[in-house]
Amino acid sequence: MKFSEYLKDNIYKIIIYLICYSINLLIYLAFKVPKSVIISTLFTEIISLTLIFLIPYYRKKKFYNDLLLNIKALDKSYLVLETLNKPEFYEGKILYQALYDINKSMNENVKKIEKHFLDFKEYIEMWIHEVKIPLATLILISNNHRGLFAKKTKRELKRLENYVDEVLYYERSENAEKDYLIKEVNLSEVIKNVGLKNMDDLLENKIDFLVKDVNFHVLTDGKWLEFILGQIINNSIKYKKNIKNSYIKIYGEESLNKTTLIIEDNGIGIKKHDLNQVFDKTFTGDNGRVVNKSTGMGLFIAKNMCEKLGHKIHIESVYNEYTKVFITFAKNEYYDVIK
Amino acid sequence: MYKIMIVEDDEAICEELKNLLESNNYEVVILKNFADACNEILLNSPHLILLDINIPYINGEILLQDLRKKSDIPVIMVTSINHEKDEALSILYGADDYITKPYNPYILLLRIKAILKRTTNNYLEITYKELKFDLRKYTLKKGNIEIILTKNEMLIFSYLISHQNKIVTRDELMTILWDNALYINENALTVNISRLRGKLKEIGYDNVIITRKGLGYILT
Repeated sequence: MKFSEYLKDNIYKIIIYLICYSINLLIYLAFKVPKSVIISTLFTEIISLTLIFLIPYYRKKKFYNDLLLNIKALDKSYLVLETLNKPEFYEGKILYQALYDINKSMNENVKKIEKHFLDFKEYIEMWIHEVKIPLATLILISNNHRGLFAKKTKRELKRLENYVDEVLYYERSENAEKDYLIKEVNLSEVIKNVGLKNMDDLLENKIDFLVKDVNFHVLTDGKWLEFILGQIINNSIKYKKNIKNSYIKIYGEESLNKTTLIIEDNGIGIKKHDLNQVFDKTFTGDNGRVVNKSTGMGLFIAKNMCEKLGHKIHIESVYNEYTKVFITFAKNEYYDVIK
Repeated sequence: MYKIMIVEDDEAICEELKNLLESNNYEVVILKNFADACNEILLNSPHLILLDINIPYINGEILLQDLRKKSDIPVIMVTSINHEKDEALSILYGADDYITKPYNPYILLLRIKAILKRTTNNYLEITYKELKFDLRKYTLKKGNIEIILTKNEMLIFSYLISHQNKIVTRDELMTILWDNALYINENALTVNISRLRGKLKEIGYDNVIITRKGLGYILT
């Protein structure tokens, strides 16, 4: 609260006062009041005017200054009311009460939306579990009745399964709730599961799956990591080059304080101007337009999940040559000591 | 013949699972009375149980805990809940494995086989005709002649033996190899099969692995 602004705001009071005092002065002169009386009344007038201005200014100043300052200082500025003392002056009381009521109503609204969101999340999780049962049945049926038809059906079912998983993990990774469990996991075990899951696709596309040096233990959620690697491998399959010796190489590197898993392919690569955006939501880029078969969510979800699990993920690529995805797992010394 | 019990309330999946297991030489019992699940399981005394988590009356994890108080029958949890937490809990409660729906049917069969092998006396030597096949040393023996197989060939041959006189698809063979972290491609599988044929021929079994075009292989 600036004094100059406060003064400007109250300028009309001064003008009224001056006009009144001028009239008084004329009256004094008309009645020939002695000069000493005029001077002494002028003196008291000036004192009272000053006090009338300064007292309310200082009463309000503390409240408003605290309000403005705290709003700036808090990262959740809607909590500002909790930091203020209830003001003593009338306007302040009105403002305080109004803010309180607004806050309350907003909180109720947020609560309602939160509940709605949680209900929806619960429903989606349940729905995904339910939908997986007929999916499992269909896979069994197509397996029990072999033939070309079954093979095609199986492929489509797998696609369906991937999309369902995408929703599941999107929902889990976007959520503030802790939906993961971190424990020691062997990378080779995770890669085996991912390999098996994508075996049909890899074989059909004649992509060699080359795995070496992955016998490392890392701290992660195995199921989440499977999904993340699945997304990366799906991309490699989708964006492979039409050449004979397509491959996906997976290998690990260990240093003093971290383990890095590298997934490398010799696919069509990513153009430089797309490279910064591959982790963005619904980004498909030039490659996506060529292949035209992506939601653009896979890598976004993967990145989100990595952040939650505390892993670093980044991509290097040269267009038309290769793509390398690096996932870095930090080593936990504390955990090693306990072990 | 091993008896497997299915604890699952979805009828369609029960039926298909039964078909799958029966065509792989297992006897199948389906749990009917969920209210008294534990006793019905014990009465049937199966060699292995496939247990779902979402079942009527009690949940599968609690049933597993009850069961473990009375019996050590191997249990594979088969569930659509794809969560590390539930897996960790199930293993803690005494499950032998945890598979999420939808699953690759071959993988399910492999896991069943692995657990049955582990819990019953594990035979590491099997015979095929006059051949003695040592699964630890990867060797085939007939009289004084001994031939060494590679790990790939060993896995392929043992699978063929356990499915003797039945068509085995390339898909199935691939699944076993990849399940053992041997990520080979189609060409390599063809090469492995022909090498295995060569080695069998050396020892006097020519043409025992027959190719059925578009279907797979049969070991006679």
